[in-house]
Amino acid sequence: MAHDDDNKGTKAAPAADASRRDFLKTAGVGGLGLGLAAVVGAPAALYVTYPLNHETVSGGSGFLRVGKSELFPEGAPVKVDVFADKRDAWNRIQQVKIGSAWVLRTGGVLKALSSVCPHLGCAVDYDEGASKFKCPCHNSAFSLDGKVEGGPAPRAMDQLELEEKEGMVAVRYIRFRQGIAEKEVV
Amino acid sequence: MKGLVDWLDERAGVRALWAAIADEEIPGGASLRYVFGSVLVFLFMQQVVLGILLAAFYSPSATDAWASTAYLNDQVTAGWFLRGLHHHGSSAMVVVTALHFLQVCLAGAYRKPRELNWLTGLAMAGLVLAFALTGYLLPWDQKGYWATQVATGIMGSVPGGEPIRVLLQGGKEYGNFTLTRFYTLHVFVLPIGLAALLGAHLALFRRHGVTPPELPKAELDRKAQHFFPSQLLWDVIAMTVTSVVLIVLTMKTHGAELFAPAQPASNFVARPEWYFLFLFQLLKYFEGPLQIIATVILPGAATTFLVLLPWIDKAESRKLGPRMPVLAMVGLLMSGVATLTAMALVEDARNTKYQKGVVAAHREAERAREFARAGVLPAGGDAVFLNDPQVQARMLFKEHCANCHTLDGNGGEEAPNLTGYNNREWLRSLIRNPRDKRFFGGTKTHKEMEAYPPDELSDPKLDAVVEYLVSLMGPDAGVVNAALAEQGKKLFADELDCNTCHEVQAGQSGDGPNFAGRGSKAWIQRVLQDASAEDLYGKASAMPKFGKKLTEEERSRLVELIASLRNSKGDG
Repeated sequence: MAHDDDNKGTKAAPAADASRRDFLKTAGVGGLGLGLAAVVGAPAALYVTYPLNHETVSGGSGFLRVGKSELFPEGAPVKVDVFADKRDAWNRIQQVKIGSAWVLRTGGVLKALSSVCPHLGCAVDYDEGASKFKCPCHNSAFSLDGKVEGGPAPRAMDQLELEEKEGMVAVRYIRFRQGIAEKEVV
Repeated sequence: MKGLVDWLDERAGVRALWAAIADEEIPGGASLRYVFGSVLVFLFMQQVVLGILLAAFYSPSATDAWASTAYLNDQVTAGWFLRGLHHHGSSAMVVVTALHFLQVCLAGAYRKPRELNWLTGLAMAGLVLAFALTGYLLPWDQKGYWATQVATGIMGSVPGGEPIRVLLQGGKEYGNFTLTRFYTLHVFVLPIGLAALLGAHLALFRRHGVTPPELPKAELDRKAQHFFPSQLLWDVIAMTVTSVVLIVLTMKTHGAELFAPAQPASNFVARPEWYFLFLFQLLKYFEGPLQIIATVILPGAATTFLVLLPWIDKAESRKLGPRMPVLAMVGLLMSGVATLTAMALVEDARNTKYQKGVVAAHREAERAREFARAGVLPAGGDAVFLNDPQVQARMLFKEHCANCHTLDGNGGEEAPNLTGYNNREWLRSLIRNPRDKRFFGGTKTHKEMEAYPPDELSDPKLDAVVEYLVSLMGPDAGVVNAALAEQGKKLFADELDCNTCHEVQAGQSGDGPNFAGRGSKAWIQRVLQDASAEDLYGKASAMPKFGKKLTEEERSRLVELIASLRNSKGDG
């Protein structure tokens, strides 16, 4: 074999030869091994991080109908549930409840307040006797236009954009960060 | 670096561990013949990693399985590639297992003292097939569903097999439990089983070493090499070749097939994966009570033969000559499998009915996957077809139109029947008898138009008028006989005086609807929006104004449907 013929030189040469061969083989193993790992590793990195740069859950961002205009009389707040079509990964879900809001007509003008308490997110109730909004969890109280009138709430109830068109009332439902004084979209 | 290794070595003995792996002595030296086992280990590990990745986007329930597979395959970045690798990887495992098997047979590596290597190896080969069988169902598509139905059906037909079938599929019929059970088997039970067997197989292998060529011991010792790096390099080269083949296959097929979602009420031309085709072919020869020969007796006999091979082979040495009878039997078995597989493929290639079925299945798969991009309703799988604009339009029609209008035999008679709406036959019949129930006879108010019987309007003249009416649809009309339409236009205006009631200049109103663009999509859209417009059916129209009742998208779906009706039935 060629290998045996090469062994006629000095004693050091074959050892160096062998170690060079071993080094090349090791490099070959390492190089090909890395390549094999990359075949799955590289696409897997894109695949696993898909939700970082794609909207996997979506829907309910526009104006959503909550009822006819005549449902909202002057002076008394009405609680409405907001429904929207949602996308959740592979699913398309029709008319799922995404939240609720208090809608109040004062001086003919409609206004919508998110029912999510700006303190810690409980659902705010309406106390008819006191004509105030009250949170059942930590007793925050709000005036009819949403201003804080007591309790730990750090800011007024969050107002939602509202649209009244052709006898239909629609709100844009948005969630805000809780527990802080600023109204910040989540 | 050295410091770290020292630290680890002192605590975990990593150097000794590495030496135990790397310094394994290979008598006779590294060789390409020993790569198959390593390639299988590589493939198994790759399948595990790919399986975990797939599980990150997959949901094993009858309502979600197909939709989640379609999502990960068609929408998630590189999803098709990873799923394709996993799919073809299972084929690769079957192929390399067969090569490993042949190499072991040729080398006589199943013989004493390696009987346990052989048995654990056979058991693992069985598990590889079980992996394939359970994985095939998981996408819950037509192919996996129906092919697996055949497999579990066979199980149920074997004496005593029915309870096993019910247990395996989690009920008498396929459902959520079938998927959760197959999933559990595929991702937990089988991998753990295979890993345990692999551990035993490797430990036994290290105990007995490779089965070297039949050479004098001195020569084997002289040529001996360590596993690392010489044999490992061969192994890694073989893995690379396998990997390249897998990549090419995956790219060429754009990943694994995904057929339309499982539809239990359909009939799909089911075929198992290619490596089960020999069993499928075998079934064709044994019918009725004889079926058990193909399902149990022959496969059972072959398995028994293989299990007993180390004891059947009584030859004195591993040389090929003395072992010829045993090898011939193995050869016979393998060529039997190969022949049956080839026959199944040839028969399918010649079976035009099957080929048509495959084409139809692919077309349906394409539609379903396109619809799935918009999201699948939670009802799942089959519900993807509700995304079909035509299906949606038909549902809208049923909800909003069918109370008054009949379509394809269903609906009310208070307004014109829309079956074949605006095709030439429909228009001809309308002119001949507008007060028929099929047309305006059921309406309360549209009864002014007189009938035109044949003695007042001959058939050729009627054809000309109809052609003119069709031509009014403009670009939506399709093929129009212009000369005939021109003739009809004259009849319409001069001889028949249709234009005393029906204007053809847009915007003008008469006693009857204005015919400018009549039957075109834009015209239908207007009728739908507000049929009581002055230039359409006027105040007397009883048709609701859908401009307010339906969204723009819903209206345009209905318009597409209604405009398409003239093509759905023979256009006389």
